[in-house]
Amino acid sequence: MSRLVDWARRSSPWLLHFNSGSCNGCDIEILAALMPRFDLERFGALLKGSPRHADVLVCTGPVTRQQAPRLRRIYEQMPEPKFVMVVGTCGSTGGVFRGCYNAAEGIDTVIPVDVYVPGCPARPEAIALGAVKLLEKLKNAQKQARGEK
Amino acid sequence: MVLDIFLGILQIVLFPGIVFCIGLTFLLEWIDRKYYADLQNRMGPLYVGWRGILQPFADFIKLMAKEDITPKAADRRLFTATPFFSVAVPLLALLFIPITNVTGVLSFQGDLIFVLFLTTVIAILIILAGYSSMNRYSSIGAARAGLQLMGYEIPLTLAALTPAMIARSLTITEIVKYQAVAGMSILIFPSMIAFGVFIITLLPELEKIPMDIPEAETELVAGWQTEFSGKKYAFLRLSNNLELLLGAGLAVTLFLGGPYGIEKLPGLTALDLAIQANIVLSTVWYTAWFLIKTAIVVLIITNLRALFSRYRIDQMVRGAWKYLTPLMIGITAITMLLSAAVPGLYPIV
Ligand code: SF4
Repeated sequence: MSRLVDWARRSSPWLLHFNSGSCNGCDIEILAALMPRFDLERFGALLKGSPRHADVLVCTGPVTRQQAPRLRRIYEQMPEPKFVMVVGTCGSTGGVFRGCYNAAEGIDTVIPVDVYVPGCPARPEAIALGAVKLLEKLKNAQKQARGEK
Repeated sequence: MVLDIFLGILQIVLFPGIVFCIGLTFLLEWIDRKYYADLQNRMGPLYVGWRGILQPFADFIKLMAKEDITPKAADRRLFTATPFFSVAVPLLALLFIPITNVTGVLSFQGDLIFVLFLTTVIAILIILAGYSSMNRYSSIGAARAGLQLMGYEIPLTLAALTPAMIARSLTITEIVKYQAVAGMSILIFPSMIAFGVFIITLLPELEKIPMDIPEAETELVAGWQTEFSGKKYAFLRLSNNLELLLGAGLAVTLFLGGPYGIEKLPGLTALDLAIQANIVLSTVWYTAWFLIKTAIVVLIITNLRALFSRYRIDQMVRGAWKYLTPLMIGITAITMLLSAAVPGLYPIV
């Protein structure tokens, strides 16, 4: 039974896209990753509107001060188990916004992050690879939890 | 006696009842998603099972295993109850649809009216679901859903009643049997227009894309479903799929000749008799034809979904009250006049 649930979790990552103050470059690339050429739906990914329905929070941007509480609230609204994927250099480290008076330095200063996809903007191939990496990481974690190698 | 009861329970629970219907909805969702992706030049689900065929099942299991959040402000009892009821009601209605046989699992005189009544109950459940979550987006979504479902309920009902008037019966089995003799209703004059109207009204009833105003995600997050998570959302999704199966099944039953296949064509009487003589063969044969016809209806709906973009609210209301309702009233009148004035047109069987 738990194997079935693990398999289901690996097979249908539903995305919620959140922009925490990015320049919108990476957001366009995320949409490109969902479009015909790369089509993340082949892994079962669907773009969802409500945080209550999503499994993976796909974030961009360095988290401006105004967005930080909202990002945290959206993260808390998602039901467990949930994962966070950061797209773009500025989301990973602050990038071009590093040292700005009004922005934190990356998503991981606000919420825990599972996968980083660097690039300014990140290419859609890289985003697809990031999604695969996330699923692999999940698979390994599930194996470890079951005590297998 | 005991065996009868046992067989009856088996029919309701396993085949062609609850388990079979749920499995069928997963299959139809896969067909729908795959074809939709194909129309958009994408791949669609690919790696879960053969060509992604297990994707809807994986989605369902995943949602069942997820955390189930009930917001503090929500009306707890109603919030928990509506998803379960919204699965139970279409399942009950599906038991009346003939799948493996000419008669459904349940059947009585005038059951068509009861099935149509159940579709209205689904609309009320949707309004209750949105209202009970006490979220602004949900309330607006529920209000829109009410506006939309109530508006399109009238043309839907009238369209479903047109073949009933032609067959002079409100019993689903009788309508199917009539079509076996007189040909599919889609080939008979006013009811082919009724078929078109029926398919068009299915879109707002199922909240599919040109009419997905209640869950317009660019405005309302996810409409009346916004607050539902985990198990409850799994049930709501299942309920929507069951409604799709119910709508497609009703279209097949009323307009496309139900589970009958090619054996009713003139000249194939020998085949017909051979099928009716063997119960296993007839079950397989009828189920296969029902599946094919339902899949065709679903593909039509998917095509419409991929073709159009969302309508405005005023266009949606106008579509129901200015065009479809008068059209359907006109067609009802024409059917009645024809069947009274031209005695041989709709043969009595
Ligand atoms: S990483 Fe670069 S392109 Fe992407 S959001 Fe940040 S600044 Fe924009």
